[in-house]
Amino acid sequence: MSQGTLFDIQHFGVHDGPGIRTLVFMKGCPLRCSWCCNPESHSAMPQVRYIRFRCKACHRCTEACTRGAITPINGSVLINYDKCRACTSRTCLDVCYHEALNLTGYSLDAKELLTIVSKDLVFYRNSGGGVTFTGGEPLSQPDFLLESLRLCQDAGIHTAIETCGYGNPDSVKAISPHTDLFLFDIKIINPDIHLRHTGQSNDVIIRNLDYLAKEHKHIILRFPLISGITDTEENIGEIIGLMKKLNLQEIQLEPYHTLGESKYEEFGVLHTENLIPEILNYPVETVIERFHAAGIACEVA
Amino acid sequence: MTPREITSIPSTEHSSFLKSRYLSAPLMVDIEYIRLLTDSHRKTDGMEVQERRALNHAHALENITPVIHPNDRLAGNKTRYIRGAIPYANYAAEPFLREMRKQEQDAQAKHAETGQGGGVARVMQEAAEKGLRVISGKFLISEPDLQDFRGICEYWEDKCFMAQGDKLWKTHFSEAGFIENGWKIGLYTAPHEPCPEGRLILDFDTAIRKGYQSIIHDIEKRIRDFQPENIVEAGKLHFWRSAITVLKGAIGFAKNYAEEAGRLALTEPDPVRKHELLQLADICGRVPMEPPRNFREAVQSFWFTYLLGHMEGSHLGYSPGKLDRILFPWFKSDVKTNFTEAVSLFEELFVKMTQIEYIASLSWQGLGHGNLYQNLILGGTDEHGNPAANEISRAILQAQINMQMTQPTLSVWYDDRLDDQFLMKAAECVKTGVGYPAFFNQKTYEQHELKTSGLPIEVIRKHCAMGGCTEPTLQGMSYGIVQAGFVNHGKIIDLVMNGGKDPVTGIRMFDERRLKTFEEIRQYYLDSMHSAVRNWQQYWNFVMLAHRDTVPLIFCSVFVQDCIGRGKNMDDGGAILNQSVTTLSSGMVNVANSLAVIKKLCFEDQACTFDELRYAVQDNWQGFEGLRRKALSVPHWGNDEEYVDSIFLDLFNEYCTWVRGQNNYLGKPYDPSMLAISTPVPFGKVCEAFPDGRLKGEPLADGVTSPFPGSDKHGPTAVIRSSSKVDHTQIRGGLLNLKFHPSALSGESGSRNLLALIKTYFENPGFHVQFNVVDSNMLRDAQEHPENYRDLVVRVAGFSAYWVEMSKALQDQVICRTEHLL
Ligand code: SF4
Ligand code: SF4
Repeated sequence: MSQGTLFDIQHFGVHDGPGIRTLVFMKGCPLRCSWCCNPESHSAMPQVRYIRFRCKACHRCTEACTRGAITPINGSVLINYDKCRACTSRTCLDVCYHEALNLTGYSLDAKELLTIVSKDLVFYRNSGGGVTFTGGEPLSQPDFLLESLRLCQDAGIHTAIETCGYGNPDSVKAISPHTDLFLFDIKIINPDIHLRHTGQSNDVIIRNLDYLAKEHKHIILRFPLISGITDTEENIGEIIGLMKKLNLQEIQLEPYHTLGESKYEEFGVLHTENLIPEILNYPVETVIERFHAAGIACEVA
Repeated sequence: MTPREITSIPSTEHSSFLKSRYLSAPLMVDIEYIRLLTDSHRKTDGMEVQERRALNHAHALENITPVIHPNDRLAGNKTRYIRGAIPYANYAAEPFLREMRKQEQDAQAKHAETGQGGGVARVMQEAAEKGLRVISGKFLISEPDLQDFRGICEYWEDKCFMAQGDKLWKTHFSEAGFIENGWKIGLYTAPHEPCPEGRLILDFDTAIRKGYQSIIHDIEKRIRDFQPENIVEAGKLHFWRSAITVLKGAIGFAKNYAEEAGRLALTEPDPVRKHELLQLADICGRVPMEPPRNFREAVQSFWFTYLLGHMEGSHLGYSPGKLDRILFPWFKSDVKTNFTEAVSLFEELFVKMTQIEYIASLSWQGLGHGNLYQNLILGGTDEHGNPAANEISRAILQAQINMQMTQPTLSVWYDDRLDDQFLMKAAECVKTGVGYPAFFNQKTYEQHELKTSGLPIEVIRKHCAMGGCTEPTLQGMSYGIVQAGFVNHGKIIDLVMNGGKDPVTGIRMFDERRLKTFEEIRQYYLDSMHSAVRNWQQYWNFVMLAHRDTVPLIFCSVFVQDCIGRGKNMDDGGAILNQSVTTLSSGMVNVANSLAVIKKLCFEDQACTFDELRYAVQDNWQGFEGLRRKALSVPHWGNDEEYVDSIFLDLFNEYCTWVRGQNNYLGKPYDPSMLAISTPVPFGKVCEAFPDGRLKGEPLADGVTSPFPGSDKHGPTAVIRSSSKVDHTQIRGGLLNLKFHPSALSGESGSRNLLALIKTYFENPGFHVQFNVVDSNMLRDAQEHPENYRDLVVRVAGFSAYWVEMSKALQDQVICRTEHLL
């Protein structure tokens, strides 16, 4: 059985699929969207996370680290992730009394995951809930994902994945029968602009969406509203066009928020375009109206 | 700031007016009742105790000033003020005297902090400007009244319930020293005599349906037909005669209101108001003497009986019970009153209920946070087990959604088959953030009561209600629980960690023991807990003899079955259910967490010795931060971890079994119960650091099965899984708090998820769950700007309180209760 790397499992999720759900956050993502709020999902490996506001600058971690990866800087510390990457001792964690250093990411196999997810079976049954694989990008760990979906489905648990759609088409084909609901991110239809803002072209994404639509899977599109990038007149029009073509009925909007900023610092990832305004091109209500006018069910996620 | 999804406003301008009048009114002490009662008491020396008590109460009722405030459509107030309290010096005069002698404030400050939020501070300042005096922390009293009251207290100093009780137990109870030391070290809550009554629900149904006149006739007939066979039986006469006296006094009280309404009508210029007053005069001339003719009269009749019972004793947790069931037949048969009118009547009724204040010693005000715990329970089933929510249930919910008054607190007897409309309305009310309704599992309580009292299931279903915050009881037929207060499990940890000696005061409570194994430590804990509980129970059995001889409740007994039939008041065993008397404690979650840490770190992982752990907690973990981090990573309660959950269950079962091992003053086993009210804050304040990582002075874990703040790492479903391992049928009461950010419950799907959560917990089967739906940013802002949050109500523990009237420490605790927000 293959191992999966997760960065969190959260119970009582109520925003990602119907009912009360368990959310499985998987590490690793092939895209690098300029507005991303989940830096901990980028790397596929477990990582040390530094939470600055808890740090008391005692510098015990600097002393404890065998690789010299932690440098004290006034009132806090800086972690060199290149040096840190392959460490297995993680002695820094034991000496930080203030929980400013945490490990994010751990490995388990599908069976172990099922044991955890099954604990909330009664909650799923009473609420019509289930499990949602999200991330990161679940498709970046296709074997583990497939095994997990299968086991959950066999146990009678409703399965959903939240995906950016960027994954091997064969993997998508393989998981499709075991997935009851796709929360499918659609960002930018124009391939060039997509490439510029996410680091990848979107042709695979569109192809996978096309396949799932033809399989008549239950798909809810998720559309991040990023000022000047995704919320343009043109992009919205193209999304509507695509939905009509593929006969997709539902879309959820995700207005951009800046919660991610301080998180970047915790993971030593540079925020490529630091200042994305939260003010949108159009008010959310206007965007909702546009979709409604096209006969598409639309709400804020 | 996240806006609230459900924000409602009073349904009429009239209700808005009543609410804002209430919000801007100062807290007053009114000595009129106690002065009248005392006058009568002075003149009745030598009378049989019940007859004297009845006569004194009746005298006060007949002579008290009937006050109808402008615009009032319901008549009857406990005091002459909008927000007023009666200082019951006949229960405990000494705390008042002590305060007046300027001593209490200092002595009690360390035990409890009363509301110092912006609202109270402002009112106090205003009062000073008006030349009023402050009493008991936050109440105002005029200078002449204060002088009068001093005389009254001096009269009661050696006659009141507390003084008489003290004479008994301090002289004759072998463990009296233990109890007194227990207070000094914070093992127990302060003496409860100033406000011992409550957890009582009268038989409002009979009171309304029959009317007082016909009840008097019944009793008179009993007396006429009476042929006693011995002296004991002949004693029934005393109770019956007292009952008639007190009912007549109550009738006088209502008639005075009728007259006052008529008098006001004469001079009223506004024709609309004049009409209202004439109507009120007519209604008060009719009920509660005769059965009502319509819904409105039924509500007025209920209110009179409710109020009159409330006036008799110093109550906390005196409750209206299943008001939806009681009033529904009157609503159904009244074609002239529609749903909207019913809602507006309830809005006024709930303002009236909130206007009742209580004043007790400072320490109890700190514990109860001024809350009266009037619990109105909705839904549930009928006697045959069929779901019983009705239109009145929804009207009551709607009224509180609109008004968001702190009283009454609403509860729902949950049953799977309750209709969707009602349950969704209940969820809507939760989402206002007001903190109620709390949900209770009727089936769990049925099991408890079957085991405890053995009464028929039909009787239990028909009468089950909530007396006080989370203590279920049978309305109209149970002894109102008069209990001693709480045992602090946290203090027992302190004692165990320090060889039986209190580390704060140096007082020795238990002998030192050799502690070399986990089993020995566990046993030391259990033995200490056993002594603490047993002494507490026995002490109270002494005290209650004095209760019977000084302040037996006569009016209330008339409306508790089967006092009239048996010719006995409740203290003499007149109630059908006498198994309701509980022994209370709080803080067990911290004990379980601490024992888990000791077991794991000292005896399994050898991370430290037990002595090292003792040093660590004695030094409040300073210099032991690494060890503390290890302690925090040992499984804590609320995460569905067998390691610690099994320890909790072991303690829980030990506690329940032990409590039942002692009979109460009515001759039935004490019933185990665990509640919290505000105890986690004052109890935590007197405790040193604990092995579970808790720091010195921090509040204890809240509720009964709520996790220690911050230690629940796996969300509400894990909390519920842990909590549902507990056999709740063993205890009378129990509570679980969950706090949600509004977004976790938004929309219809949010309501459905909330209901699914409740259903799941109760299938398992839990007993109680309540929700705080607020945003911690909002709460922090409210701490900084109390003036903008005058009407913000939050759930504390078994009750909701005005934010601005809570102590800073309690506010902090509410903020840091883990937010289950994704
Ligand atoms: S994980 Fe290892 S290398 Fe990285 S900072 Fe900690 S001790 Fe140093
Ligand atoms: S050990 Fe923790 S608190 Fe101390 S400097 Fe390192 S990160 Fe900060």
